[in-house]
Amino acid sequence: MMLKNIQEWIVLLAILGAVGLIGNWIGYDTVVWDALPGMLVLIGICLAGLWVGKIMPGEIPSVAYVALIGILVSMPWLPGSSFFVETTSEVNLLALTTPILAYAGIAIGRSWTDFVKLGWRSIVVAMCVMVGTFLGSAVIAEIVLRFQGII
Amino acid sequence: MKQQLTNIWKDWRLHTIVLAIVLLTEWIGTHSFTIGPGVVLLLPMLYATIIGLSLFFTPLIKEKQSKNAEPLIILGVLLLIAKIGVIIGPALPEIIEAGPALLLQEFGNLGTILIALPVAVLLGLKRESIGMTHSVAREPNVGLIMDKYGFNSPEGRGVMAIYIFGTVFGAVFMGLISGFLATWTPLDPLSFAMASGIGSGSMMAAASGSLVAAFPAMENQILAFAGASNLLSLSTGLYMSIFIGLPLTEKLYSFMTRSKEAQKTKEEKGA
Repeated sequence: MMLKNIQEWIVLLAILGAVGLIGNWIGYDTVVWDALPGMLVLIGICLAGLWVGKIMPGEIPSVAYVALIGILVSMPWLPGSSFFVETTSEVNLLALTTPILAYAGIAIGRSWTDFVKLGWRSIVVAMCVMVGTFLGSAVIAEIVLRFQGII
Repeated sequence: MKQQLTNIWKDWRLHTIVLAIVLLTEWIGTHSFTIGPGVVLLLPMLYATIIGLSLFFTPLIKEKQSKNAEPLIILGVLLLIAKIGVIIGPALPEIIEAGPALLLQEFGNLGTILIALPVAVLLGLKRESIGMTHSVAREPNVGLIMDKYGFNSPEGRGVMAIYIFGTVFGAVFMGLISGFLATWTPLDPLSFAMASGIGSGSMMAAASGSLVAAFPAMENQILAFAGASNLLSLSTGLYMSIFIGLPLTEKLYSFMTRSKEAQKTKEEKGA
């Protein structure tokens, strides 16, 4: 069961990786061959994180482990970290987001009517929610960063 | 979910369409225009969302493709998080140096209550506004509200409304306002980079992506700060809501609606 899952993860990540590499080539001028090692590293980190998330006790989501492994292998204190940093730098972040949002657009279509029913007031409030958290955090960050002399 | 997953890779119609969308949108590339003093950025991911959504209403995409797309979003976000991980790693010394700012700006997420709650109450929304404005309404917060008030409560409807809006338009909206606010306000791009991390991978990517496009020289710093802040938001957000956000929203709500209505609901709950 678990092996089956891992196989599926690999195939689906490979599809995403292939689409991402092509987007990376068209949009950000990095030839597929140059970015391939970096994409393989990223897929490896995902698989490791998914696996750790599965075997670890507790309700911590796999996302937390994927991020943690990514950080650990690229820390400057770790010997050999430059390999992970250099290969993955060929993969543009935005090239990864484009296919995700293409899939998201397709998935959202299904709940579109539910959303339209919610009305304009929730749209106004939702915008305020996002502006509120964004500006609130930015103002506090600005004050503290200035106080520390970082900016 | 697991059984569904076994056939998704065979859904070549879905993957081919997505590849075509990516080819088209990356070929169009990033464009920007100015509105007053702010810059509005149109990124390939924005076109990709719109094209994907409109294709749903054509015979090209069927219910099956739309369902199959969901796990790919989750795996795609994982790939994105892995990339962010290897961006944070090399910047770790810098992040540790900026530690106090990162931690303290988490309290800025409470800004949503101060700005959005009065608006919701003014618009005539009742207890829906508590679910709507206590946080940015990502998955952990939806879980929290469902747990506390139930799915069929005004609070539950409120949190779902914001959650759905955030899922649909969050990335687009954050991408637009972050580029605009960063060029329009005197605040430093790094402050906005930290603010980009609100606990949603796609919103963080959109917001920090716009910042990078506006300040390309600071790319790595911006992405590192945004990623670290998002990680922190992801890990502390729920506890922040449980112990500070939700009680504060409740207090402010009853303060703002010191009318009979608020009293009534209280009495009903007490009885």
